Amino acid sequence: MVNSVIAGLSSGGAYALLGLCVVLTYRLVAVVNFAMTAVGAMGAFVMVSLTDRGVNVWLALLIGAATAALLSGVFGAALVRWFAGHRERTKAAVTVALYVALTAIGVRLFGGNSTGAHRFPNPFGDPVVTVGSVVVPQSVPVAIGFALLITVAVGLLLTRTRLGLKLQALSERPGTAEVVGIPAPRLAVGVWAGVGAITMLVVVLVAPRLGGDFGTLSGLISTALAVAMVGAFRSLPLTLLGGLILGCLEGLSSSMDSIQKYQGVVPFLVILVLLWWRSRREVWDTAHSR
Amino acid sequence: MTAPALALAGVGVDRAEVQIIHDVSLDAAPGAVTVILGANGAGKTTLMDGIAGLAPLRSGTIRLDGKPIEKLAPYKRAWAGLGYVEQARTTFRTLTVEQNLLVSQSGDGDLGTVYRLFPELEKRRGLQAGHLSGGEQQMLVLGRALVSAPKVVLIDEMSLGLAPLVVRRLMGTVGELAGMGIAVVLIEQFANLALDIGTHAHVLRKGRVVFSGPCEELRGDEQRLHRLYFGGPPLSAAKTDAGAAESELE
Ligand SMILES: Nc1ncnc2c1ncn2[C@@H]1O[C@H](COP(=O)(O)OP(=O)(O)OP(=O)(O)O)[C@@H](O)[C@H]1O
Ligand SMILES: [Mg+2]
Repeated sequence: MVNSVIAGLSSGGAYALLGLCVVLTYRLVAVVNFAMTAVGAMGAFVMVSLTDRGVNVWLALLIGAATAALLSGVFGAALVRWFAGHRERTKAAVTVALYVALTAIGVRLFGGNSTGAHRFPNPFGDPVVTVGSVVVPQSVPVAIGFALLITVAVGLLLTRTRLGLKLQALSERPGTAEVVGIPAPRLAVGVWAGVGAITMLVVVLVAPRLGGDFGTLSGLISTALAVAMVGAFRSLPLTLLGGLILGCLEGLSSSMDSIQKYQGVVPFLVILVLLWWRSRREVWDTAHSR
Repeated sequence: MTAPALALAGVGVDRAEVQIIHDVSLDAAPGAVTVILGANGAGKTTLMDGIAGLAPLRSGTIRLDGKPIEKLAPYKRAWAGLGYVEQARTTFRTLTVEQNLLVSQSGDGDLGTVYRLFPELEKRRGLQAGHLSGGEQQMLVLGRALVSAPKVVLIDEMSLGLAPLVVRRLMGTVGELAGMGIAVVLIEQFANLALDIGTHAHVLRKGRVVFSGPCEELRGDEQRLHRLYFGGPPLSAAKTDAGAAESELE
């Protein structure tokens, strides 16, 4: 059982990053991006299609990430261009539509559950450390390390560079930011592109574990949203923690035969519990403010 | 007379699909303070938002140094040389004083100038802007407009809620901005303070200009200002215009 929880950490690191991407998109460009993992999956499948044809893995990874960045950037530009003044829920609805469309196209192009499971390269599958009876697969340190790397890099970008400061300003007061000369539309497209590329890398990381069909990978958005909810779409540390916990929960549930087949429900349970918890607290707060 | 740095012609501005500003034409000369007065709700902020691009223009043209800017996105208007100090001291609260300046700094902008004008900002450069006093926040947003090396600066309700001493000090700074050759457009609650440092004044009522003229015409004339703000029996040619405008509105 401990083994499965530990193994769950490798998904956890990936989920943490997906949650981070959702929260960043929400905070920086004020969009809940349901299409995020579908875009990532597109990039990932461009990559495997290339490796299947014998293209070098790293080159394929680069092309896949660039594809995801481009696709995401185009979506971002479209939202900026046509939906700038609209409500958050309208923009979210647009991304839901994009998610549905992309998933349909992806399944069509790359095959669904039964037909088209692709082989994703899995260089990190072998166990590395064995502590007593506990086996730590190599994918765990890789996933956690990657999550830390991206988090630190994003953190440094936001706090140490002028570009990052502009993004923060934009997130805090979008109108004022534009008025002082911060090119909001361009930065927004940049954020979309960056998030697209990171998501693609994460999808590639988890694909060997989850099995390589498009629907599953593009459906990772439910996990990503659950994780983002742990951080209340605001807190980056809480989001990261939420990702790790969700990964462990999933690992735990996979170790118990009786509940294993409901494993996919875990994110929804987390969402439900969080919604219930928050609404309870709201009731509590309003009761007290009266 | 020098060419205006900012020239509005027939400007109409909407807010939530409702036209608030009607047919405003006015100029702001470089090196001078142009004063905009009007009662609460007259539409002063809406006009400024229209000029800066935060509220949609329904009609008219806006020229900055002769070039039309009314079709540009807000940030491009800023790049063209328009600075806008919004109402209510809109600092980026989570950024430090210096970071607030850095994000709006443009090629020719200089933090040194800001720190020379406001030494207290330099002392607090590492402090989060949200922790500054009201007066210091106002200095920061003024400074933030200045580091983008603007040709025109719009200032909305600079002295709202500030102590008289601070207000007098900031008025002095506004004069200095004009001294640097910037065209300043100043909206003020304290009409007399603004009229003291201004050259031309425009009074808005219900979204229309009901007075345009030299500041000395209004200086100290509380009664006339009151009539311009709230309407009343005609007093001058400008007033008659306003009467016509009003009947059109109602
Ligand atoms: N979002 C909005 N939707 C509809 N009407 C609005 C909106 N914002 C402002 N208004 C209306 O536009 C008019 C002008 O408002 P504005 O804020 O420009 O006035 P102001 O002259 O700046 O007033 P104050 O001196 O109080 O700042 C007011 O009647 C106000 O009610
Ligand atoms: Mg106002």
